[in-house]
Amino acid sequence: MKVRITEYLEVDLESQKWCCQRCGHELVDARQNYKKGCLVAEKPLEEVYPPKPEGQAYGFIPDPDFCRLIEFYCPGCGVMIENEYLPPGHPLTHEIELDIDSLIERYGRA
Amino acid sequence: MAYTRDTEVVERLKPEAVTPEEQAAMAGVEDLDFEIFQHKMNMIALEGKETTMKLGASTGMRWGDVAFGIYTALGDLSVVATGIWFHAVLGQIPVKYIVKHYLNDPTVGVEAGDSFFFNDPFYSGVHAADMGLCVPVFAEGELLCFVGANVHTGENGSAEPGGQPIAAKSRYEEGLMVPPIKVGENYTLREDLMTMLGTATRDPRTMVLDIKARLAACRIVERRIQAIVAEKGVAFFRGALRKILATTARAARKKVSKLNDGTWRQPRFLDIVGSEEKLVKIGICLEKKGDKLKLTFDGVSPLLDNHPQNSFFQGIIGLAMVYFCGWFFHDLPANNALLDALDWEFPDKTIVKASGDAPTALAPSVQTCFVHGIFLIGARMIYNLDPKRAVASWFSGFGVPYFGGFNQWEEPVADISPELNATGAGARPDQDGVNGAGAFFATMSDCSDVETTEADRPFLYLFRNYFKNSYGPGKYRGGSGVGFGVAIHHVPWLAMGGLGYGSKYPATLGIFGGYAVPSGFIQTVHGSDIKKHLAESDRDLPVDLDQLYEEGNPEKGNRGLHNITMGITPFVNGDTYYMPAGGGAGYGDVLEREAEAVMADVREGLVSRETAANLYKVAFDPETLLVDQEGTEKLRRDAFQERKARGVPLEQFEEEWAKLSPPRSALTYYGGYPHPKPKRDFGLPF
Ligand SMILES: [Zn+2]
Repeated sequence: MKVRITEYLEVDLESQKWCCQRCGHELVDARQNYKKGCLVAEKPLEEVYPPKPEGQAYGFIPDPDFCRLIEFYCPGCGVMIENEYLPPGHPLTHEIELDIDSLIERYGRA
Repeated sequence: MAYTRDTEVVERLKPEAVTPEEQAAMAGVEDLDFEIFQHKMNMIALEGKETTMKLGASTGMRWGDVAFGIYTALGDLSVVATGIWFHAVLGQIPVKYIVKHYLNDPTVGVEAGDSFFFNDPFYSGVHAADMGLCVPVFAEGELLCFVGANVHTGENGSAEPGGQPIAAKSRYEEGLMVPPIKVGENYTLREDLMTMLGTATRDPRTMVLDIKARLAACRIVERRIQAIVAEKGVAFFRGALRKILATTARAARKKVSKLNDGTWRQPRFLDIVGSEEKLVKIGICLEKKGDKLKLTFDGVSPLLDNHPQNSFFQGIIGLAMVYFCGWFFHDLPANNALLDALDWEFPDKTIVKASGDAPTALAPSVQTCFVHGIFLIGARMIYNLDPKRAVASWFSGFGVPYFGGFNQWEEPVADISPELNATGAGARPDQDGVNGAGAFFATMSDCSDVETTEADRPFLYLFRNYFKNSYGPGKYRGGSGVGFGVAIHHVPWLAMGGLGYGSKYPATLGIFGGYAVPSGFIQTVHGSDIKKHLAESDRDLPVDLDQLYEEGNPEKGNRGLHNITMGITPFVNGDTYYMPAGGGAGYGDVLEREAEAVMADVREGLVSRETAANLYKVAFDPETLLVDQEGTEKLRRDAFQERKARGVPLEQFEEEWAKLSPPRSALTYYGGYPHPKPKRDFGLPF
């Protein structure tokens, strides 16, 4: 049995793995940070936000000295499972740490 | 009395222990009577809120930055009418202070006909701009309950107009801060105290009118309560009011118990300190076990001794309740019994636990920055239980002009403008966010009509409408925010500044791959020739914030772009000021957005053609704007493949990533990058 955790993530209670909800790809052990099973890339901010007004100290693009955009993709289908906006070099976040034993207890074994 | 701030009473955010009288009274309340009672009390509180709004003068009071509460005799808030959910847990502290300090004090006392005023943010939790008034209600000679109104009046005589001084270096520059004091007896306000409170501010008319509005609403609510007591008796009223808290606490824990057990984390970054562009961090952890949540912190920047971006811990709990009252416990009564399901631990001497003389005037920035993390955690925590509630955040960063001077009627004005109540809502799991929805912390507030604002503010609005570069893209996009521009009008001068954050690091982040909002900024034009163009009906003048930055804008003058936080600056007649009230954050992967929805936004002017093609990967006919389905499928297939080619495993990514750092100049107040440490203790007596 798979339990839906977010828009793009499920936990397979049998294998105890994080899975992509879109393609079923097994990412990593459910007790670990799901990001360890993703493909990771820094996305240039100018690919998301419009450039204007040009040549000014302020604009619609966040300042890369303060902020970078990191994207986490499913290695199976390429869907963006999540992203993070972090100051350069700031450690990535282990944002969801489920108590897997209690999850299994709640849903029963598969 | 120690004649200083009371650090004990502010810890009493959870409901007081039930007294034997309350216990006995609760037992006598039948279910059906209880339902009717709750409905009546909610309607009465709503009447209190609406009355306050209709009688007041400040921007906050007129447009709904108002909470009307009904409190037990011990001070717990049982019933509240508001969209300002932090008042649901913070409004009680001044009442508990009055009960603790004045009820049995022979020099003050608490009698029928008394009224108490307060705005010390240590007790009201957020900032001194929020002011409150409460009155005790008596029945059969005994104290029955309190009722009161908390409202953002704003101006309090601080070093800058409007009650939120950016440049404050200690609390002594933050204006009037009144712990609860008795301002009225025998159903009458004391003229000496009204004169003192009025004189302490730039805008005495607003100060005193707002106080009288609160009091008038309290007296109406007092009468309504007396009517219920006359019909149902004192014991019933006491028991039913307490029973609301008891049932709320039970229901809150039951709802929490339905969540999966686990720990959720979210680091938050604020990009402004005072008016310096610097990074500070709030690392948030929320643990859920059984029927309890526990809030802890994982790395918070040290207390800022001489900049006002600090919050009292009670304000942080207050803002957490904006999420919990308005979103998570949306189906439960909003009152401080919800806190029965939440425990917390705060790190001392950090920006989330201010102490001593540190200034706190911009605590709302710290608090909203914090609670945005709770919204992100909340969406991830609740998806499994109730996916439709797992929404992206509304705009969280402020973007508020503040001003001081004289209006066209030669009356003093010192206030904020109401567009902060027109930000975009976050995208939802099944649809886009609402455009110009409101303010996430003030969900029953409004942004005024332009004409109403112009009637007693010295502004001429140039435009006010949706702004396409305000929200976060995604599978579902955030609601559009509002861009607006004003010219100083009818008066020789006005001083203006800006409050908020998000010019460097985005104010509001997306969820499940949805994108953050763009960065925001202010444009000013001093010595503008705008009035000449208006007199000539120049059709080339921009009609929205997007066009402002297009080539060919005919407005000439000394143009400057500024951080959303802009120190107070003199403007003269005809100078212009442009600002966005931000949009909501995005939900989900942009490559999953329906191509038709993207093109509908292009037609509406809410997405540019470039973004449709390059970010959403939609192929379309540039003439007809019709979607090319096959072309779009190919573009998106290629984009998914390109991601897989570009992405690398986490460990490999971290090797290079860990070598990066923000420039040292951005980390002055951070407290040790990347994991800030608490402040060294110099043994100061606080
Ligand atoms: Zn997949």
